[in-house]
Amino acid sequence: MEEMVVELNSGEPSAPGSDQGVAKAWESVTAALVSPGSSLSEQDRLNLALLCSHGLGRLLGVWLLESLQVRLSSSVVPEFWSGLEQPQDQLEERDRAGVLLSAFQTLLDRLDPFLSGLEQLGAWQAEGRCGLSGPGPGALQDRAFTTIRALLLFSPPTVLQQRVLEFYSRTFSVYMSREGGEDGPEVLEGPDGGACPGCRAPALHCWCPEALQRLQQLSLALSRLQLLEWVSAEAVTAILHRLIEQRMEQHCRGEYERSFLLDFQEWLELVLGWLGKVFATEGGGAAPVPMDPSVPSTPSACGSPVLKQWRCHMHQFFCRIYVNMRIEELFSIIRDFPESKPAIEDLKFCLERTNQRQQLLTSLKSAFESRLLHPGVHTSDILTVYISAIKALRELDPSMVILQVACQPIRKYLRTREDTVRQIVAGLTGDAEACSDLASELSRGDPVTLEMQDSDDEGNDPEDWAPDPTDAVPDKLGSKRRSSDIISLLVSIYGSKEIFIDEYRTVLADRLLHQLNYNTAREIRNVELLKLRFGESHMHYCEVMLKDMADSRRINSHIREEESKLSEEEQPPLALSAIVLSSEFWPTLKEEKLELPAAVCHAMEAYTRRYEKLKAMRTLSWKPHLGSVTLDLELEDRTLTNLTVSPFHAAIILHFQEKSSWTLEELSVKLGAPKELLHRKLALWQQQGVLREEAAGRYVVMETGATRDRLDRGVMLIDSDEERDSNTTTQSEQREEKLQLFWAYIQAMLTNLDSMTLERIHTMLRMFVATGPVVTEMDVNELEAFLQRKVREHQLIVSTGIYRLPKTS
Amino acid sequence: MKVKIRQWSGVASWSWVANDENCGICRMPFNGCCPDCKVPGDDCPLVWGQCSHCFHMHCILKWLNSQQVQQQCPMCRQEWKFKE
Repeated sequence: MEEMVVELNSGEPSAPGSDQGVAKAWESVTAALVSPGSSLSEQDRLNLALLCSHGLGRLLGVWLLESLQVRLSSSVVPEFWSGLEQPQDQLEERDRAGVLLSAFQTLLDRLDPFLSGLEQLGAWQAEGRCGLSGPGPGALQDRAFTTIRALLLFSPPTVLQQRVLEFYSRTFSVYMSREGGEDGPEVLEGPDGGACPGCRAPALHCWCPEALQRLQQLSLALSRLQLLEWVSAEAVTAILHRLIEQRMEQHCRGEYERSFLLDFQEWLELVLGWLGKVFATEGGGAAPVPMDPSVPSTPSACGSPVLKQWRCHMHQFFCRIYVNMRIEELFSIIRDFPESKPAIEDLKFCLERTNQRQQLLTSLKSAFESRLLHPGVHTSDILTVYISAIKALRELDPSMVILQVACQPIRKYLRTREDTVRQIVAGLTGDAEACSDLASELSRGDPVTLEMQDSDDEGNDPEDWAPDPTDAVPDKLGSKRRSSDIISLLVSIYGSKEIFIDEYRTVLADRLLHQLNYNTAREIRNVELLKLRFGESHMHYCEVMLKDMADSRRINSHIREEESKLSEEEQPPLALSAIVLSSEFWPTLKEEKLELPAAVCHAMEAYTRRYEKLKAMRTLSWKPHLGSVTLDLELEDRTLTNLTVSPFHAAIILHFQEKSSWTLEELSVKLGAPKELLHRKLALWQQQGVLREEAAGRYVVMETGATRDRLDRGVMLIDSDEERDSNTTTQSEQREEKLQLFWAYIQAMLTNLDSMTLERIHTMLRMFVATGPVVTEMDVNELEAFLQRKVREHQLIVSTGIYRLPKTS
Repeated sequence: MKVKIRQWSGVASWSWVANDENCGICRMPFNGCCPDCKVPGDDCPLVWGQCSHCFHMHCILKWLNSQQVQQQCPMCRQEWKFKE
């Protein structure tokens, strides 16, 4: 039947009238298309068919779009923008919201005829009515909306963004206050007091419901125009960003002892409810979300794909912002570590979701460098932070890569500090308060022996293996070897445990020599603990040292016993006890020249004789300057009792007993000690008010007149200068000695082999100098520095990396 | 002024009264111990032969045990006899 009509129509308007008929038909059809709400009349159908028969059907769509475009650019768009901008700033926020909404609604009204026309045409095309063909309603509308977007938003004035942002922010705060989840600072003012927590307007003029109403209308209008995503997305993103940031600033900054993940999870769900309103009509189809704000709309809205997408976005925002903030604060978090564990855990969670490891590394490294690694910070503080960092970062990144990379500067810096090893050892032995963790770490139940870590064991379960993160430092050591054990990490700062054990030996020697009783229980415990870590063989020397202490005690009591058998007059005038060392096993003790007073020497000789009788074929050589002396001083008007001083000081004061006035020179000769040293030592007695320096370097006893009442107080008198740990030579001195030892080898090698490269020298040295307690691992760099120095001193010649000895003249 | 010394704690190191530094067998210092020992002194004593050479006791005993025919001092090849 259709076809009949077409035929009829095509036949009727013959040659002359046909053009006019077509024009008429065009007008009527197009009018019908753009007139809203009208359905196609019979006449229009005929006209349409006529048009189609003339092949004009295709043009209908084009015309419609074209006229839409013309209309848009000529009137609709300018109207929209002027409508939006016209009232400028005089308006209240509430009115501005109204203007925004009405602008969009007018826009919708203006465009509606075209949109419905397109829809109709599309429907016709889809049905294939009257031979009409075309892309279908979807494609037509897509093109229309593209046109609208292009013309409207090609260069939108900022006012639109501002308005939208303002409006959304408002509805957001209204929504949040309605949902009751928000406990921001707004609440402080109280709902009755004045401003409504949502709209900030006085309670009487609260327009919260209106705002929500308008939000819904706006969403509808926008989604009808398919502009929702384009207009809102940016504003929503900005708002979410700002709000999450704000909330985080308020709640989380500086607060490391609580986890915020769950809080934020809840809060984000709430925010999602609001998003559900913003994007209500797009995802949810025609059915609008119930407008009653008291009914939580989340469940119904959450399902839509748009919201799912936004949820993802929000999580991403959250993680990113959180990570950003924590990265900034990481140094403080590390500093507070055991307390800041929740923050670390949160950060770990978020960091896994953002790609910011590199940022974290860079920022942490520079934080370390600027806040920690400069001369003003005490070594023990650096160590404390380092230990915290180890603990914190191994929580954060179980693969230890962050730890390894970020702490590289610390390790490097610590290597340059003289007292690092000493501090670590002090920490291990529980001497330093600052690093008390170390002592407890040492006595922890399951020590990881260093030997074990060196083994090639690749872990228990191959299924558990995970590749290293991409930022791992490629090195010979696999992930398995990347230790998280605090002590092994500290020990490895210097690359070898030998240095460390040497230093421990030195510290142990100091401690033992400063002990007046032979009580070694604590040291024995420490040595046992260290043995668990470093292995028996390395601690062997320390064990001998401890045994020396025990032996000395036995020898002493034996000699005491011998002495007590003597008759009254034969009793030694001086109560001498001794610590007898096995010199091969003790670190090199500092040599200091000192002649002790005759009485003391006699006592020592007597002691030596008894020792020789006790241990056949063995003798003692005394270290006159080591040890300690307890003495009483009786002056004319006062008595100083129980002073504990070094033998040097005791020797000085003993000389003053014979003669109350000495010059520096005389004393120096008498004691066999250099004057500078003597001068320093005399200072102690001056401080005590016992001696007085007169002119020309003459010292006299102050028998009377000292006002200080230091009576009856047992005091340990220690020199103000470095006395405490001066018994053993320092690390660098020892090192220097060792290097000198190497120099002999190097000279010999170069004499025999004429010329050698640095590497060759290094390997040769390692081969030759392989045993004994004094050998330290020397790395190539150190050797190079040493050789360079020799070159500067003209003891060596280097050319193109080959070292040779200078020709002997 | 009078000084009364209550207690003088000195430090000394012991050494063997020997005419050499190192043991001629193990080349370790006398004041240390032979390679098999951990603790010097009483636990790893020195012994003297009548030829006046001395060694770690453990070292010379090992040496003497390894000699099938005649027991000689490893230094001077005289017959080894412990010095009383």
